[in-house]
Amino acid sequence: MQDLTRRKALGSGLSGFLAGPGLLSSGALAAASGVSGAEIVLGVSAAFSGPSRGLGIELYRGASAYLEHVNRAGGIQGRKVLLKCYDDGYQPSPSVKNTMTLVLQDQVFALFGYVGTPTVTRILPLLKKLQEMNAYLFFPFTGAQPQREPPYGDFAFNLRASYRQETAGLVDNFVAIGKRRIAVFYQADAYGRSGWAGVRRALIRHGGRIVGEATYRRGTRFTASMRAQVEILEKSQPNAVICVGSYAACAAFLRDAVDLGLKVPIANLSFVGSENLLKLITEGTEDSERYSSLLVNSQVVPSYEDTSIPAVREYRELMERYNPQPPRHLLEEDYTPFSQSFVSLEGFLNAKLMVEILRRQGNDPDRSKLESTVFTIRDFDLGIGERVSFGPTRRQGLQTVYYTVVQSDRFVPLRNWEERFST
Amino acid sequence: MRVQKVFQKTLFGVFSLFVLISLSTSALCIYTVDTHLSTEYESNSRGIAKTVADASVDILLNRDLSALQSLIDQFIEIQGIGYIYITDEHGEFLAHTFVPGIPDQIGRSISSSDEAVERHIPGLGDFVEVSRPILAGFAGRVHIGMNTSLIALKVQRAVGQQVYLISLIFIVGILSAVWLVNLVAKPLASLLDYGARLARERDSSAPDNSLLARDDEIGQLANLFLYFSKVMDPRKGIGAPSSGTA
Repeated sequence: MQDLTRRKALGSGLSGFLAGPGLLSSGALAAASGVSGAEIVLGVSAAFSGPSRGLGIELYRGASAYLEHVNRAGGIQGRKVLLKCYDDGYQPSPSVKNTMTLVLQDQVFALFGYVGTPTVTRILPLLKKLQEMNAYLFFPFTGAQPQREPPYGDFAFNLRASYRQETAGLVDNFVAIGKRRIAVFYQADAYGRSGWAGVRRALIRHGGRIVGEATYRRGTRFTASMRAQVEILEKSQPNAVICVGSYAACAAFLRDAVDLGLKVPIANLSFVGSENLLKLITEGTEDSERYSSLLVNSQVVPSYEDTSIPAVREYRELMERYNPQPPRHLLEEDYTPFSQSFVSLEGFLNAKLMVEILRRQGNDPDRSKLESTVFTIRDFDLGIGERVSFGPTRRQGLQTVYYTVVQSDRFVPLRNWEERFST
Repeated sequence: MRVQKVFQKTLFGVFSLFVLISLSTSALCIYTVDTHLSTEYESNSRGIAKTVADASVDILLNRDLSALQSLIDQFIEIQGIGYIYITDEHGEFLAHTFVPGIPDQIGRSISSSDEAVERHIPGLGDFVEVSRPILAGFAGRVHIGMNTSLIALKVQRAVGQQVYLISLIFIVGILSAVWLVNLVAKPLASLLDYGARLARERDSSAPDNSLLARDDEIGQLANLFLYFSKVMDPRKGIGAPSSGTA
């Protein structure tokens, strides 16, 4: 899969500015909307550096595997689909800057595969401001509410289930096995608050409340101590903890919680990046089960281990065939990719649906018709069992939440909550 | 040198004056900067609290709390703001910026008035907290903690810079004073030596020409001494001084 470098992107944008709108040729006019005779360009701003870079990289790799496959087979109406990527390090301000560059300067066809709630919630007002340019955001890697509801819901399309659905599912299952004293460990930002609000809402439905809460700063690394957070939560004597964070901080919390004797089920949302988390807590530890046995992670895609699912088989085959690499020009630190992961599977499914939408645009892809094209997606089979539909009041394609636990250092579907966590 | 003792009191006076100036200007600086910054920070905090409170109404009624958190996260980046939290009408926390958790001091006593409250939070510092109601208090309150440690730091910096400047002026002043004193002290010492020699040895030889050539008080004294030496010398008899009017 080809991707455009930042330098190329800036170069093309600059030449566009210098030419001026009145001097653009018809070919340049077409390119100005992110489409030319040879390619369709999608804009990506995600974390390719910093402690959450594993999320941006894996999401990109999954999407790249499918787009590579499509491009090698002739693309869409002869056009290759390219990703123009910028790194925002999972920080809001760079995300806003990148989005302005992608929309105003690079003039990409659509925004795709963004990572994170604090980043996405900050660009939504920008998309509203630019609504005349039909700058839509497709399938961001976040389950937060702001891009699912007014006033900004009209500018984004979501594939994954929401954090509200994930947290409600976790709370329902914990309450069902008698674990009603639920505490929350969360990132001190919009993402953490979104998950916290989901847990609170679900507990109120059960007549309960959050018994304790502790926070950490975005960007915290695995080497940081979470002793203070563990001690705060211990005071509330929880019998389950729901973590709303990224893998480095959540792995650090799990490590310190177990080491300090807080041995209760510790749940994480899909955003955590399960494989990255597991890698951190098992590396260099002989008794990794001591930590991993307490884990339960919610997922918004099915297990990549379940090869009975057609899309999973396709994903595994294409990941193996193309072995997509992270965008090297954006990498600041070494990163060893996973052969499969929940995040890259989500990226793969995102790309698959995006390609279907672009195909439905026909010979003349047009940003102004993107929304109506998306609304033609009805009961579409992505190959995971659940059908995908969109409409004016339905801007989220999938609704299912899956739950996984660690067995033999791998995430496997959780079949029986009572059996796993009854003690 | 004995003669320089005359000037020690002058130097001591100059030093005392500088100390007095340093202390008084530092005290005035502390008071002025502290008062101005405290007033400005409190005023800004009240303004921000009102802005957040006004913006929160729509979010609280229509949107997810993550939007509220996103809102306060933008304000916490402003220098001097230590923390922000929003409570509902029952005092339950809806959004906040505390890490690793809500401090006990705040959880125990949530302010419900518009008056500023002083708080000391172990591990975080000293704050003045201002509060504004959301929808006249029916939807909750916005609380903003202004970090007074930052004000103290700024006062320290301002005073430090002032003391640094005064010290520089003091050193230059002292060096200049020593140089000026030496200009006077050296010929005075020579004159003193001559006077002492005259008294001890009854020696009527003339003092150094450089002293006699001076047109200031030292030159006049030198000529006067020479005149007296001649008056007292029985071999030479009384003679007029070679120059001067003494």
